[in-house]
Order: sequence, then structure tokens, then C-alpha cells
Amino acid sequence: MMQAIHFYSVVPVVALVVALTGCGPTPPASFRLNMVEAISPTPEKDSIAFEQELTGDQQKQVATILLAMFGTPDEPVCLPESGLDSAKLRLAAGPVRSDIVGRKNGLFREHCVHCHGITGDGLGPTAAFLNPYPRDYRPGIFKFKSTERADKPTHGDLVRILNNGVSGTSMPSFALLSPVEVDALVEYVRYLSIRGETELALMRQFFELDDEDQGTLPETREFLIAEVLEPIAEKWTAAADAVIPVPEMPEGMDLAESIETGRKLFFGDKANCVKCHGVTALGDGQANDYDDWSKNIVKIDTKLDSVATGDADAEERRWAAEFRKVLSGDALDPRTIPPRNLRQGIYRGGRRPVDIYYRIHAGINGAPMPAAKGTVDPQDIWHIVNYIRSLPYGLDGELGADRAVMMPPATPAGLVSHEEN
Amino acid sequence: MNRLGGMFWAIVFLAVPVLGVATFAVAPSINVWLPKDISEHGHEIDSLFYFILILTGVVFVATELLLFWFLWKYDAAARGDTKATYLHGSHTLEVVWTIIPAVVLLFLAIYQMNAWANVKMRRPDMPPTVEVVGRQFEWRLRYPGGDGMLGTPDDIHLVNDLCLPVDEDILVQLKSMDVLHSFFLPNLRIKQDAVPGMKIPVWFKGTETGSSDIVCAELCGWGHYKMKGRVTFVTRPEFDAWLERMEAEQEATQEVTP
Amino acid sequence: MSTVTAPTTTPLDHVTVAKPHPVSTFLSTYVFSKDHKVIGLQFLFSTLLWFLIGGLLALAVRWQVAWPWSDVPVLGKLFAQEGGQMSPEFYTMLFTMHATVMIFLVIIPILAGAFGNFLIPLMIGADDMAFPTLNMLSYWFMWPAFIAFGASFFFEGGAAAGGWTSYPPLSTSVVSSPGSGWGQTLWLLGLTFVGVSSMLGSVNYMTTIILMRAPGMTMFRLPMTIWAMFITAILQAFALPVLTATGFMQLADRLFATGFFSPEGLIVNNAVPGPGGGQPLLWQHLFWFYSHPAVYIMILPAMGMVSDILTCFARKPLFGYRPMVYSIAGIAGLGFIVWGHHMFMSGMNPALGITFMVSTMMIALPSAVKTFNWLGTVWGGKIEFTTSMLFALSFVSMFIIGGLSGIFMAATPVDIFIHDTYFIVAHFHYVLFAGTAMGVWAAIYFWFPKMFGRTMNEFWGKVHFFLTFIFLNGTFFTMHILGAVGFPRRLADAYHYETFHHLQPMNAFMTWCAIGMVASQVIFAVNFFWSMFYGPVAGRNPWNANGLEWTTPSPPGHGNFDYQPVVYRGPYEYSPPGVETDHLMQTDPPNPTADAAARQAH
Repeated sequence: MMQAIHFYSVVPVVALVVALTGCGPTPPASFRLNMVEAISPTPEKDSIAFEQELTGDQQKQVATILLAMFGTPDEPVCLPESGLDSAKLRLAAGPVRSDIVGRKNGLFREHCVHCHGITGDGLGPTAAFLNPYPRDYRPGIFKFKSTERADKPTHGDLVRILNNGVSGTSMPSFALLSPVEVDALVEYVRYLSIRGETELALMRQFFELDDEDQGTLPETREFLIAEVLEPIAEKWTAAADAVIPVPEMPEGMDLAESIETGRKLFFGDKANCVKCHGVTALGDGQANDYDDWSKNIVKIDTKLDSVATGDADAEERRWAAEFRKVLSGDALDPRTIPPRNLRQGIYRGGRRPVDIYYRIHAGINGAPMPAAKGTVDPQDIWHIVNYIRSLPYGLDGELGADRAVMMPPATPAGLVSHEEN
Repeated sequence: MNRLGGMFWAIVFLAVPVLGVATFAVAPSINVWLPKDISEHGHEIDSLFYFILILTGVVFVATELLLFWFLWKYDAAARGDTKATYLHGSHTLEVVWTIIPAVVLLFLAIYQMNAWANVKMRRPDMPPTVEVVGRQFEWRLRYPGGDGMLGTPDDIHLVNDLCLPVDEDILVQLKSMDVLHSFFLPNLRIKQDAVPGMKIPVWFKGTETGSSDIVCAELCGWGHYKMKGRVTFVTRPEFDAWLERMEAEQEATQEVTP
Repeated sequence: MSTVTAPTTTPLDHVTVAKPHPVSTFLSTYVFSKDHKVIGLQFLFSTLLWFLIGGLLALAVRWQVAWPWSDVPVLGKLFAQEGGQMSPEFYTMLFTMHATVMIFLVIIPILAGAFGNFLIPLMIGADDMAFPTLNMLSYWFMWPAFIAFGASFFFEGGAAAGGWTSYPPLSTSVVSSPGSGWGQTLWLLGLTFVGVSSMLGSVNYMTTIILMRAPGMTMFRLPMTIWAMFITAILQAFALPVLTATGFMQLADRLFATGFFSPEGLIVNNAVPGPGGGQPLLWQHLFWFYSHPAVYIMILPAMGMVSDILTCFARKPLFGYRPMVYSIAGIAGLGFIVWGHHMFMSGMNPALGITFMVSTMMIALPSAVKTFNWLGTVWGGKIEFTTSMLFALSFVSMFIIGGLSGIFMAATPVDIFIHDTYFIVAHFHYVLFAGTAMGVWAAIYFWFPKMFGRTMNEFWGKVHFFLTFIFLNGTFFTMHILGAVGFPRRLADAYHYETFHHLQPMNAFMTWCAIGMVASQVIFAVNFFWSMFYGPVAGRNPWNANGLEWTTPSPPGHGNFDYQPVVYRGPYEYSPPGVETDHLMQTDPPNPTADAAARQAH
């Protein structure tokens, strides 16, 4: 009587065992296509044209060309024209393992992949939970560097990021890796970035095709290398010679005086730092801007919303629905980018005076921070640097950095009118 | 034939003390043992570890051997027609094996107190050598600059790479910015949780130059495993030179190519 | 002691009529049953299923520790995005849920829920529990917990990943890591339901044991199993409210922006988790105020059952019955004042560390007394090496290891080095797996005939024991020496540290052993289900044991006893003088020679 009862209990056990053991082998790692870009190109940034999506065949063609030019995550290929060092790449690519001399290979997958993703798209499994999101290398935009805003970072810039981490973000320091390993990782980041940019360029090529091309690219090696790869690779090699010249800090000026000059510039019309960083420099001047990566998504989002609510035709609605699906898998929910709170003493791009000089001079690529180059005199930039470096310590220079966060908003002299408002 | 079964199982249980002792005996020779101690107080902790190891080892071997012997001897197959001893206990034995462990355990507790107080309670009277701040997932370091005070513009900020003078008292001010972390220096026999909202002093003295690991020993999130640091002990002149170099680097107004 | 009249109906074996079940529908008999035996079996099957899940989670954890970042077999398909390797947050989730499942869904419910329910009325001679409906609810309150824990894997961010101890601010801040979103909220809800279930159970057990004992069953004639269940129930009743309250506090911190556990000025992942003003250590105090007694909730019932099994197969009275009872009570009492030993490194005032060290050293004492008494029980016995006995003996053998390794951690200076290393992992696995789980197996093999009317296959049972025993020691004993290196627990990859990089081969060995250990359980599963239907039919008392449960039919019908049992003696009258068989059951009519000897022995 009793033993008949528990027949039902056998079922889930058996089902579970079968479910867990009945699976096949793991597929090899592969790069993902930039789907957001593939079905929504935005050559002219203001509009999203519905008809400009890549067909399935074209997507396959892009993937094939990329495979030939760059290989797979396990076996990267680097054409000589890409300017990449294949020995370094091999150290960083592939699954984590030790090679015959006992050196660790697969560094990218050990250290980077869970945030930056295997494609370098900033869509690793952890990405959605980080604030700010990890960098998407594919557009080739880098924030913290010693070169002009639109230029690529130098090798040294990327090494510095790996060594110091980006404080105030989830990017940790990798200072304890050996220089060889850091080099290899930097090279791999360059590889992913060049690959991503090439992918974008290829897709743009498709959009510019005429009807007589019948939707396919002239798939010759020469064409692809000369027209697509080389211009991108050249920008990277050019970076080393494009470091911003930094004038010496003005000599003979009292630090307090310099800070005072910097303060005036901070609130002045030309530099106008106050507009975003706020009168208190707590980074509360504005709060609604996005970085370039998110801007695109926000724009697409708005467009899709208008399709959903407006009087779009059936074809457009179908397309919008499909796009939503792509977006949910291939993009993270956009977040606003707050201006830096300058009283915390946390500097993402480095705390050296020269780092802050670069930030002011060239702005931050991909972020709303504009370049002061051309509008602010180089000597004046140094004064702003000094002022900014004094901010975490309060106006009397005695407050500790950790207390500054909770400090009541100071009212800078000359801005009493703001207070009265 | 039946007897073999009992003997087999008795031997299985005999394997516990034999292999157990063997594991601990072999461990140091295959380098799976206490890492090298480079601290002043570490030998106190290590010798206590060995003391407890020997004490528990004796009890372990004795009880496990006893168990084996009983299984061997009192196997039903070996006992034939004799009945088991009809015995409900022994008041004397109960008293003996209550009092003796009680005394030993109390002694152990009292014996430990001094070492504990040295590491955690007798804080040296000095300003912090360095501030260590745990943050997901790195150790932020802050050295007081020339003025010897933390929280002033001449502080020197570094990450993960802790450098300290050898043969000197070190006082670390331990903090956390976000979640719990634990500042674990295996070679210095130091472990202390970093708690947000608290400043916890940690002190030690390194006795050897060289580098060793800083490990995070309290779960702090998905990247817990990568919260790795390094502590390097150098001589005082080297330390001063290093600190100066770090300060110069931090104050750089021109790009320096390494 | 009051005199009791002898029952008029003997011999038992001729009586086969069970009391009729009042209303007999499928639902009321098998699903929403109020029969303690059915509820016990429901607990048993549910917990065994979760045991399997928890074991598989453990294997996945071991895989990552042995071969970090390598492609994971089977599970790897889930992580195709990273090329088949496990992500660190998935690993974090795995060990959190392994511990959660094993503690809250396996060990506690299998001991108190499955065996407590099944055995208490049978062993004290009652028809059923005091509150059958409450009893049914205690099982069905587990289901919201099953669902909450199970479903949390499928929410965004996955299941809880803050460790089973859920220390804030990692767990209170919803943005601190994946899994600290929905996963953690569901974890807290699940925990609350487990708590409710345990509470209902414990109230029921206490009442039943106090009020529903058969005539003649005095407190000091109770089998050790019942004593252990009784004291466990008291522990639960006193400790659980604290856990539930603190769970709600954490829930409030997460959902309603209170600040019990987060201090001011906290910035986690670039967000401010709450208003601040709290203290992270408060959670640790409250959590361990429950969870340390919970450690004893997880071992005392196993100790009780093992005592019963040891005496039965040694054919010898329990050595030192009263000291055994007193030491259980002592463990329970001291268990409430030792929680601080989990917090020696937490930043709690180090002076408190000293008091907690002394109380912790003292709690080793009753455990030692119990161990010596078990050895005394085997001494001079006539040992039958049944599967159940082997598991019970291994419980004693392994508990010695688990108990002794605890002394290392109790010593505060030594704890500085081994705190949160594999030494502690070894310690609690020796207590909970090599201890409790082995005890549970002993109990399953022992009471299986009573549950299903058939005995389990002895040969395969011994094979199962042998393999489990070997592999468990291979897995867990090596952890001690890893701990001696300082190898930290909960690290997805420790080999990039100089100190630990050479330990990979040893971890690989342990993982192979763990795989072997889980694989050995297939033998158990097959034996279990096969024997349920095809095992040799057991009579009322296949082991010639003394307890009241062995006077009932196997399995017992509704109402358990086919006559009113009357108890004449304690449960451990094995091999008494003046008796032809080698045991006197608790219900056997008075025997002048044996009873005189028993009186003298006490």
C-alpha cells in the first residue's frame, strides 16, 4: 500500500538526470555580428532609414569577409596591413591554457571576457550589472588617452589604463600582470577594435552600393584591404606620433594665485566648466546627457517608440518589432552619463596633472565633455588643472578627500547671486 | 569466510588514521603547507598551529585506532556464541573523559590569549603608515606624503602594489568603500575584514625583503577572485626613494614614456 | 515511577488489522496528507531530489576550482557567449546556491522534516503528531521556498550570489553584483518560508514529545533520536525568530530603502544603496545567532539516530545514556553563546574574541563526551557489519575529524590564518557531509524497511558505502592541507596568486574524487527505488531492535499501532542477562532477571 504511493517521485529524478546528461558538446567560440548596426545603419546621424538594413545574404557576406581577415576568437588572423603583432595576439586569444613553456595563454578570456564580451562589444555576461557599462571596442572610440579627441590612443595610454584601472568604474587594475601579458592584452584590444571598425566600415560599404552592384561587394583582396582595412589600421599607427604637446606649467606663479585664476576660468564663459560640473563642482550641472554609445540606442529607442504609437504601416511595424528583439539582446539599456563629481578626488583617466590637462585640452571622446583646445589658452588650462586638483580638499585646503563627498555645497565667491536665487 | 568481511571493514576504518597522518606528514614535502612566514609575530601563530595539530593529532590517532581495534575484536563473526557485554556505562570513565578534555581545552583557550592580543589588541602608538581601502575589486592605497598626514593634497595614491619598509612597525588603516573585503596577507599571517563605515587598524612587522600576495578573503562580489594585491618589503632608504619616485610620477606634468 | 498494567493483547505478529483511514481520497492520502508518515516521506523525497541538485551544483563548483576558465562539460552550452567557460558570477552563484540548497533544503528538512516526522510518533508510541494539520502545513510551506530558490536561477542576474551567509552590503545593495537583484530577494523570501516550515515542525515536535508518549515511556526511556529531535526543536524555536526578523530587515533594506545594515557614505557600483546609518556587522551578529545553533540543528538529530543504530548493531546498551542526553542539552545551551567565533576577523571588538574563544572551546567538551560514549558503546559489543552500521560507524569516525578540526578555528590566533580558507571548508564538510549525510544514509538503510516494508539490498549498499567513504575522504581530507597553505574559499580562480599557483593538481584530484562521490550515488538511487518495489519483504522487526517503531507492521498503517503499546524499559536493553534472545524490546513484558540487571546498571 505505502510503497505504491511514491511512483510519482521517480519521474522528476529520471527527467532531471536525462535533461542534464543529454546535451551535446560545447560549440567553439565565435564572434557575434554587430546586429544593431547591421539592421539599423545611421550614416547620417539624424535619421534611421528603414530600407537600409542588410539582407541575410549580406550579413553572411560580412561575416565571411571578417572571418577571412580576422579569424576566430580561438585562432585570430592578422593581415600584415592591419599592423597587428600575431605573436602577442596568440598569447591573448583562445581558451585559457598553458603553452609548452608553461606560459599562460588565453589572457583575454581569463581577465576580460566576462565584462567586455568575446567580441569586445562590451556585452559580456556581467556587463549589464556594471555602472558604467564596460567599453564596447567596436566603434574604436577610447576616452582616456594622450592624443587628440578624434585620434586613437597610443600603446602607452592603453597600458596605463590596464596598469591603473579606471578608478570610479568597475575596470580594475592589472598592474600585477607581467609587462608581456599587458602588452598582449593591449594588442588584443587593438585587434578587437580594428575588427569592429572594419565590420562597421564593411556594412557602410553595403549601404553605399548602387543598384547595379546587385547587393554584393567587389570581394577582391585588394579592394577590401585598400578601401576598408588600411584606413583604419593607419589611424592606429598614427597615434604614436599624435601625442598632444603639453606646455610647461607656468613658472613663477604662486599656486594659490593659479588656483584662483583657474576658479575664474571654471566659472567663465570660455571654459564654462560650471555648466555641467555645477557651481559646487559636485557634477550636478546637468544630468540628462548620454555618451555616444548610448546616444545611438536612445535615438533608435525613440524612433521605435514613435513607430509603435504613430501611424506606421505594417511593414514598418514588423521591422520595429524585429528591431526590438535585436536591441534587447545586443544592446544594454541606455543610462545617462553624469558629469564628474570633482570633489571626490577620483579621476577616471588618471590623477596626474598631465592627465587632467589632456582631459581638458582634448575633451573626452564619446562623452559630452568638449575639448577646450582652441578656446582656452594652454597656460590657462594649467590654471584650471590646479583649481580642479584643489577641489577635493575644500576651499581651505584642510578637508580630507573622504569628507569632501559629504561637504555642504560651498558658495564660491562672486556667485552669491546664485545662492540668492 | 564471514570473518573476512569484518576484517575488511575494520581495515577500511584503520585507513582513516593511517592515511590521515600520512597526508599531513607528506604535505610539507610537496609544498602544500604553511607558506613562508616573513612577519615578526607569525611564528607565534605557527607554533600554536603546530601545538594544536599535535594535540588533536594524538586524540585523532588514539580514538580512530580504538575504533579500529573494537571493530576488529568485537566483530560478531569473531565472537561466536558469546553475547555482547551487558554494560550501561561507567560513571568513573564519564568523569575522567569530561574533566581531562575540559582542562585541556581551557588551557588551550588561555594559552592563546597572548598571541591574539599581540596581533589584534596591542596597537602600536603611531600614525598610520598607509591607508588601504577595499573596493570592488581592487585595493586602493594612500600614503601620507611629506606631512605625514592622510587626507591632504600631498597624499600619494596607488593601486594594489603595496610597498613597505622592512623591520619597522607598520600600521595600516583599513577601510572599505563599498562591500566587505578581507585584507589577507598569507605570508604575514594577517587577516582582517574591511568593513564600510569603520576604520580598522592592522599592524605587523615584515622581517624579510621581497614580494608576497595580498588576497581578498571575504566574498565581495563576482570579481572577488581577482582582487589581488602585492606587498613588497624594501629597506628604509629604498622605501624613501620609491615613495619619492611615486610622488614624482603622480605629480607629472609631462608624459613620461616607460 | 507509576506502575503500568501489562497489555492484554500479545503476541503482536498475529495482529494485522490497521486502524481505518477516516476519509480516503487520493489527494488527502498522498498529497495533502495529515499522516506523519506520509509527510515524512514527502519530506524525504523532496529533500533527496534537492540533494541531487545540490550535489550537481557542487560538481560545477569543483569543476571551476580544478580547471578554471576551461570549457564546462554539459553546462558549457549555457555559456556559449564566453566560449563555454563559466563566468565568475555564475561560479559565485553556484557556491551560494550549493550551500543554500544543502543547508536549508536538504539537511535541515531531511533531519527534522523527514526523520523527525516519520520517527517521532512511532518511537514514542503515538498515533500521530499532536497537530496533524500544522504538520501538513510544515511540509507545504517548503514549497514556496522550493519555488523561490529554484526559480531564482531564471531571473535576470540569476540566483543569489552573496554567499549563503548573505553578508551586507553585498547582499543589501541591489546593484552590487549580478544575483543581488531578484536572486537575493527570492533567496530571502525562500529563507522565510523554510523558517516558517521549521517553526511549525518544531512546535509540533515539542508538543508531541511532551504530551503523547505511550504509557511507561518516561523521558529517560526515550531513544536518543527522540531526545535529539526534542532538543533540536527547542533550538529552532528559540533561534529561528531571530533569523526571520533579520531576514525581514535585509528585505526592508533592499526593497524599502531602510538602512539597517549599510553605513553612511556607502557607494557601491557607483550608486548609493540607501540612506545609511546602519552597521554591516549587525547582520553578522543576528545571522550567526541563528546559524550557529542551526549548525547543531544540522547534526544533533543525526547523532541521535546514529546512537540508536550503533547500539542495535553492536547488540549492546548505549554507553552512558544520561551523559549522552546531558551533552546534547549542553551543546544546545552553549550553542547560543558561541556565534561570535564566526566573526573573529570581522572587525568585531577583539576583546569579544576572547570570550567567544573560551565558550567555543567549552562546546567541544560535550561533543567529545559523545564521541567517547559511542566508542564505549562499540567496545565489547557483537558488531554486525550491516550497511547501516557501516554508515553509523563512519559517522563516528568522521565526526572525530570534523570535531577536532574545529579546535583550530576556535583558537583565535590560528584562526587569523585559516579563517575563510579551505580549512573551514574541510571542517564543515566533515561535520555536515561526512557526519550528517553519512548519518542520514545510516538512518535510511536502517528505517527503510519500516518506511516501505522491504529492506534495501545489502551488497550494493556496502558498495555504495565503500565508494562514498573513499571518495569523500579523498575530496575533503585534502582540503585541510590546502587550508594550511591559506587557500581561500569562494575564489573562482586562485592560481594567479604566487602562494597558490601550484595547488591546481591537488584541486584536480579533489574534483575527480567529488565526481566519483556523486557518481557513487547512482548506486544508492537505483538500490533505493529498486528495493522499494522488489526488495526482500521485511517483517515487523528485521534488525531485532528494541524501539517501539519495530512493534508496528512494516509499513505501519494509519494510526501506527495495532494495539496500545506499553513501555517497560529503556530502548537499549541489548544482550541482557536472563533472556534467551539477545534483546528485550521496550514493550516486552517485564522480565525479572533482566529488569533487575538494568536497574542495577543505572
